Amino acid sequence: MQELVLVQPGRTVGDELVREAAQADTRREFEQRLAECGPLAYRVARGVLRNTADAEDVAQEALLRAYRRFDRLRDRNRFRAWLVRIAFRLALDRLRSGKRREQRDTLWSQPEHQPRAATAEDLAAANEFQAHLDSALAELPEKLRLVLLLAAMEGHTIDEIAAMIGVSAGTVKSRIFYARKQLAEKLRCHANTIKTR
Amino acid sequence: MPCEHYKDALIEAAATGLDPANALASNAKMAALRTHFESCASCRAAFAEEQALFISIDAGLHATANAEVPASLLPRVRVRLQQESALSRSWLTNWLVLASAAGVLVTLFAARAVWRPRVVQKPVEMAGKPSVSPPQNHDRVIKPPAVENSDPQRQLVIVKNPSAHETLVIGKTMPEVLVPRDQEVLLAEYAEQWRLHRRTPLLAQDSDATILALLQVAPIQIAELDVKLLAEEKSQ
Repeated sequence: MQELVLVQPGRTVGDELVREAAQADTRREFEQRLAECGPLAYRVARGVLRNTADAEDVAQEALLRAYRRFDRLRDRNRFRAWLVRIAFRLALDRLRSGKRREQRDTLWSQPEHQPRAATAEDLAAANEFQAHLDSALAELPEKLRLVLLLAAMEGHTIDEIAAMIGVSAGTVKSRIFYARKQLAEKLRCHANTIKTR
Repeated sequence: MPCEHYKDALIEAAATGLDPANALASNAKMAALRTHFESCASCRAAFAEEQALFISIDAGLHATANAEVPASLLPRVRVRLQQESALSRSWLTNWLVLASAAGVLVTLFAARAVWRPRVVQKPVEMAGKPSVSPPQNHDRVIKPPAVENSDPQRQLVIVKNPSAHETLVIGKTMPEVLVPRDQEVLLAEYAEQWRLHRRTPLLAQDSDATILALLQVAPIQIAELDVKLLAEEKSQ
């Protein structure tokens, strides 16, 4: 009787161990960055979507997508910028799809999403202004909107934003200036209306 | 309403966060605006409104951009990561199982192709051995094993170590057949005779010698004929 030997071509036990070790390293490194960059992804998505539930979903998706492609990222120092772009792109896609528009509108009217104000009038005025601001923000060109959101986030300097999105510091300043100016043009009439009430 | 001439300048000053009152004298536009403010209450009020507007915008942007992160975000992501890793592992395991199965199949097919069972055909060896007794019946028929499978007593002679007999088969024109053990010698004898052109090829037939006898058919018995003409028959 001939004895048959089980052979698995191109694969050894050593390869398998190396692969598992590399996966564990990747996972560990990503989890370290997760705590640091998770809120960033959420805030970018929240700035675009203006909805907590959608932003959380998008942030989660962005982080998972980043994890799946983490090996392909050659320069790990670019992780924040990379994640911001993923989150921003996913949030825009979600916004355009409009699948949860109804839910978003419902959630937006709930008290937990409203900024705090001293009085009922202030609260109403602040809410109204914030709603107009968010609408105006949504109408901004994507390049201006992302820069403005990143600039408004705590802890981001002009140079960091420039490095994050791959443009010069001067371009970032210019974009911030034009973005704020466009917002002011859109909101000026609303601000006057609210004030004269 | 601000003066039309200074409108853009005061908006720009508010947008950049500059205060004309504190602007450097080297900035000609700001210096002109500061001079104008001293004499124009309307522009001062408009500038104050613009400043308030930008402060509101910045506050709103800050609130939007620094929204509180839900506590459930990171735990949810970690759970998804674990699921992702588990899925990846299970996928990898499945892939390896499939690859192993494929490898086993390929190995089996390869082994079957290389070590295909062969009938012992030793025409060269048999020819040189005088001890081989001639078969009792040279006309004995070789039957394929499929026909003989009904008899459990019969055993096939299969080469267990093909490498030892490789040279006997490869390159020969002798066809490979499976024979029962008790017909091995007979086959070898016949093969040798066939090789020396003493015998004609066998056809499949029964081994019983009586069947090989010429067919004898008894003469046909024909009774006496009674011939009648058709015309006569019709007239009757």
